[in-house]
Amino acid sequence: MPTKVERWKDETYGMEIRDHLLRFAEEGWDAIPDDEHDAWFERFKWWGLYHQRKGQESYFMMRIGTPMGRMTPEQLRTVGEVANEYATGPVDNPEFGGAYADFTTRQSIQLHWIKVEDIEDIWDELESVGLSTIQACGDSWRNIVGSPVAGRDADELIDVWPIVQNLHETFKGNDLYSNLPRKWKVAVTGDRRGAGQGDINDLAFEPATKDIDGAEVEGFNVNVGGGLARKEPRFARDIDVFCRPENATDVAAGLSALFRDYGDREDRFNARIKFLVDEWGPEKVRAVLQDEYVDYELPSAGEGLRDEYDYNAGRADAAGDYIGVYDQSDGQNFVGLSVLVGRMAADDVIDLADIADDYGSDMIGLTQRQNVIVGDIADEDLDAFLDEDLLSEYSPDPHPFMRGSIACTGTEYCSLSIVETKNRMVRYGRWLRDNVPVPEGVEDFHIHLSGCTASCAQPQIADISLRGMKTRKDGDAVEAFDVGLGGGLGENPQFADWVKMRVPADEVPGYIADLLETYETERAGPEESFRDFVSDRDEDELAALAESEETSYEDPYLGNTKMTWYPYAEDTSMDASPAPTDGQGNSLPSDD
Amino acid sequence: MADRVLKVNAFTTFDLLDGSVEGHGFEEAAFATLNVRTAREAPEEVSLELELDNTELESVPPHADRVTLSAAEARTLASELEAAADRVAATEADT
Repeated sequence: MPTKVERWKDETYGMEIRDHLLRFAEEGWDAIPDDEHDAWFERFKWWGLYHQRKGQESYFMMRIGTPMGRMTPEQLRTVGEVANEYATGPVDNPEFGGAYADFTTRQSIQLHWIKVEDIEDIWDELESVGLSTIQACGDSWRNIVGSPVAGRDADELIDVWPIVQNLHETFKGNDLYSNLPRKWKVAVTGDRRGAGQGDINDLAFEPATKDIDGAEVEGFNVNVGGGLARKEPRFARDIDVFCRPENATDVAAGLSALFRDYGDREDRFNARIKFLVDEWGPEKVRAVLQDEYVDYELPSAGEGLRDEYDYNAGRADAAGDYIGVYDQSDGQNFVGLSVLVGRMAADDVIDLADIADDYGSDMIGLTQRQNVIVGDIADEDLDAFLDEDLLSEYSPDPHPFMRGSIACTGTEYCSLSIVETKNRMVRYGRWLRDNVPVPEGVEDFHIHLSGCTASCAQPQIADISLRGMKTRKDGDAVEAFDVGLGGGLGENPQFADWVKMRVPADEVPGYIADLLETYETERAGPEESFRDFVSDRDEDELAALAESEETSYEDPYLGNTKMTWYPYAEDTSMDASPAPTDGQGNSLPSDD
Repeated sequence: MADRVLKVNAFTTFDLLDGSVEGHGFEEAAFATLNVRTAREAPEEVSLELELDNTELESVPPHADRVTLSAAEARTLASELEAAADRVAATEADT
């Protein structure tokens, strides 16, 4: 029997949700019938709106999908202006202030405290510069990920930007693919870095070459069924298909139609295509794709470039991100800036857009490591650009502990999370920077912090994985983390080994300090990466690598932040919440 | 080491309980998660899931345990828990 969500989707889904949202925007929050909240909130996701958690009723998170994280300075400025005008909540965040934008691991942008009454005005502003919230969430083609510097990167096989633009235009707002059994995440990689992180996507185009009729053709190998969610992480499986660039749209259409038709609509937990690949095996996926969905003979897979991949690969000989100054193929430079936990104050977003404009940049890029790239900086301008004041906050040469951290939204807004995340990760980073010696040779060290067993911060693919839990300390329940080690992508992708459970949040920095000291002492030399160091050790050795302990680090969020209406309010109790509110932010009577 | 078997998020019934595992010749204590689940659609039974932290256990492999209860069985369990809770509460009130 189809699920409740499937029935809601059968009634109203896809493009038509926009008209309903505009109606609710006109009539106000109270016009959404109380007994239909679940159905409407599920549908709103398709247009990029998630209702925030308990205690924050009537407020929404809005996600703006930017293909491959690529934007113009004008678009970035608009995001900052929209954040300032519409994404300011009742209480400031102590680290980030009143208005900010979150850059996500799927190269999108998230704004919080959005009121349904403002939706039309926000869409008007975003769409006037070519930005959209369409299919940013929901059961459809999500934001396509890949390297934002495609076409500029001197280190690439194929410029995939035209391909991704075509995919985006073909599959956004397309009724044939608007109602899939579950989300559909696509990565297109043309660089030699592996920056698309295709391994963790439903559909991955990986750069490859193939000898066809005596000629070497550049294109993609096609992998299907990756994903981190639930307790069932999978790397995308090789279905033995080589795809020419001109066939990418046909192959993508075929595979997403295959998913639409054969995916499980009776159990949402089993709906992602990774489970269909488990059930069928890659051979059957290929056969059904060939027989039912494409009208040309699919070539077998070509030679990939995986041995060159370094993006989030944990290599000692290459940085695993885009931070720093890199050559463009046109002789200019792109500069990657570190944005700790991906959150940038709205005023800084606007400043960055202005600076990019001043230097003649046509491209801003958001990366899957929650950082930002400014493209097109000429050699003669580079020193002046690097001297800009804003770059002292968002540095192209940050301290290693301020560089590699990813954090999900956490209990600040999310209904699922059981711990505070972003502010804590900022505090961890600062404490580590100020107190822990960096092992010689380490330039970037990836800590991914997720608030629950969902995988929004991609915790399974980090040097150190932190995943929210609870523990008891001095008789009280406190926020804590399970700790995993040694995950990453690259030539041989590997999920983390989980080595500690329920480390109290205030003892995590002490654990990391101890761990890094052990690593530096016991490693074969600076050429042995942390990831290799972990993979060379068995379970017992990993468990014994380090101990958690209290240090000078202080954690203001140790209590149960999910029980607050907002963790940083003066009065955090649910009763103190102003929500729900009307379009002006005035409290409305609540039925709760 | 193995990942958790059960997912844990804000909808989990208990994310922090004291648990123990006992067998012939072994007994170990560990923190545990306990969750009550029903299917989203037309549920026909109640699942009660229990997992002890596998990093704390040597005597058993990483795993979770699950029992399924009919509605009547779930109510029986609930009423026994209520009665037991009343007795514990009474003791606490006396001390």
